[in-house]
Amino acid sequence: MSKLLIVIPAHNEEANIARVVEDLTAHYPQYDYVVVNDGSRDKTAAICRARGYRLIDLPVNLGLAGAFQTGLRYAAENGYDCAMQLDADGQHKPEYIATMLAELEDGADIVIGSRFLTVKKPKSLRMLGSYIISWSIRLTTGRAICDPTSGMRMFNRNMLTEFAQNLNYGPEPDTISYLIKNGATVKECQVEMGERTAGQSYLNLINSIKYMVQMSISILLIQWFRKRDTETPYPERSL
Amino acid sequence: MDQPIIRLCLIIGSLITAGFILRRVRLAKVQIEDTIFWLAFSLILLVLAIFPGIAYWASTLLGFISPINFVYILIIFLLLAKQFFMSIRISQMDSKLRILAERIALNEEKVERDKLDL
Repeated sequence: MSKLLIVIPAHNEEANIARVVEDLTAHYPQYDYVVVNDGSRDKTAAICRARGYRLIDLPVNLGLAGAFQTGLRYAAENGYDCAMQLDADGQHKPEYIATMLAELEDGADIVIGSRFLTVKKPKSLRMLGSYIISWSIRLTTGRAICDPTSGMRMFNRNMLTEFAQNLNYGPEPDTISYLIKNGATVKECQVEMGERTAGQSYLNLINSIKYMVQMSISILLIQWFRKRDTETPYPERSL
Repeated sequence: MDQPIIRLCLIIGSLITAGFILRRVRLAKVQIEDTIFWLAFSLILLVLAIFPGIAYWASTLLGFISPINFVYILIIFLLLAKQFFMSIRISQMDSKLRILAERIALNEEKVERDKLDL
């Protein structure tokens, strides 16, 4: 079996982090995990230390992209075969990890835990953004990604080293579209997600609109101009 | 704004801006979120140059003598707004840098103290 690292980026998640990690360690001890505390202002780091969780404590707030990249660098430097993102708010359910891992070992570069592969995507305002991004990816790559905004993504060794060392490799749909265009194999896997039970979501209305505009421009326009550099393998550069 | 020279200059300026920023993207020298402003800026210049009617309409509305004044004021406004947000960002980066430097120095001190205790 491949060695999997579960990266749990956490920003002000004192209400959820213990539940999420306890669930993981109690029911899925076969997987390694690491909590990346993204400069939280609450007791997230203190809870992790007190309970002895494996923790990377960022001294300043880097945002999700930076926190996740930290986790991937940890995975790359410690010889993991694959890594995945699991949100600290408990929306991502670890029972789907096994199926995602099977898909990845079946020969995918990225596996997305998708809410809408076999389930119909609701036609609501909240899902409008997801529709627009799906449509943009389809238009530019010809591939259908049913749930592009899902944060539950798993990466193989090549991908995680590429994500770990490069600029503009945020864990976002525009990176996915860019990688599809550059020949990466992206698969989806039907999962169910829970609702956030406590704490604050970062995505309010203004931020959602900003995110949407940025993703659309990025996918439809900017990704065409990028050049993929896979020249120098990670281990030679930094280990 | 009837002068074709000014319109041509605006078009060239707009294309150079877009070309330069997209080249930086290609070389992976800039983060994508930082390119959006410049692409929008170059699009606005392009639209103003191609449709001078917009500048005429806006300058009558605001009471400017010449339509080019509207173009100037718009560019000044956009750059000022950008400057403002950049100021805030630099300030935040400054404080992050300070925290990071302090963190490293404190860690270093801890390592050295442990060594001396041995």
